[in-house]
Amino acid sequence: MRLGIPYSKCPYESELPCTSEEEAIGIAVGVWLGGGEAKCFMQNSGFGRCIDIITSLLLPYDIPIGLHINNRLDLHHEYMGALCPVICKGLKYLNESSMISQTSV
Amino acid sequence: MQRVEILKRIFDDITDECVITSTGMISREAYQIKDRDRNFYMMGSMGGALAIGIGLAYSRPDLKVIVINGDASVLMSLGTMVLLKKLKLSNLKHYILDNNCHSTTGGQPTCSDAVDFHLLSDCIVLKTDKQKGQAPRIPLKPVDIQRRFREAIRIKEK
Repeated sequence: MRLGIPYSKCPYESELPCTSEEEAIGIAVGVWLGGGEAKCFMQNSGFGRCIDIITSLLLPYDIPIGLHINNRLDLHHEYMGALCPVICKGLKYLNESSMISQTSV
Repeated sequence: MQRVEILKRIFDDITDECVITSTGMISREAYQIKDRDRNFYMMGSMGGALAIGIGLAYSRPDLKVIVINGDASVLMSLGTMVLLKKLKLSNLKHYILDNNCHSTTGGQPTCSDAVDFHLLSDCIVLKTDKQKGQAPRIPLKPVDIQRRFREAIRIKEK
């Protein structure tokens, strides 16, 4: 199951109309606990909202939710665009399971 | 009424339901009252309990799911209640224990007195005292809470 918040030219559709990126991860956790599989997609700005649920739920509870983060570098995304790969490197969880794409749209 | 007394009443009626408990004293007191494999104590990620409950109830209609939330946690993720209203999950019951404060961290006030949670989606709001509570930290490792919960509800292969 794919869950997330869309970004421009996003190739994915969310199975449920999630209201935030961290909510999408929370729902994915519920799906995984029930024996299913769910992946989440978002852009870097929304990823910023997810640091708490990644570090206090996914990591300590050892819950593998794949994340696709679209890293934007344009306009107001300049700062998070530069930070996003650094944060991801600091989270061993993300190094293993996330795919990060870079776009300027 | 004290939160711990309300939690005892909720757990008195619980048989095989999956229970997701929110951050702080709600999880700690639930552990003290009735620890069971089908309890998932969400100790961090404040505001995330209802989303977990939605994911579980939506993907496993064979299960009955109960989420026990606090007012401050619900206020952090009001959008999730709107999503629940949209999905109308008949196998999910959402309790909100409302003491109008962050009691685990010292009783700092919340703005829950300005909202009627029932307008957002189905829920059972229970007003509780502002008392902090005495329950100690849960002595289980998060990873063990996850593993035993998942195992307890695993669909056994025939």
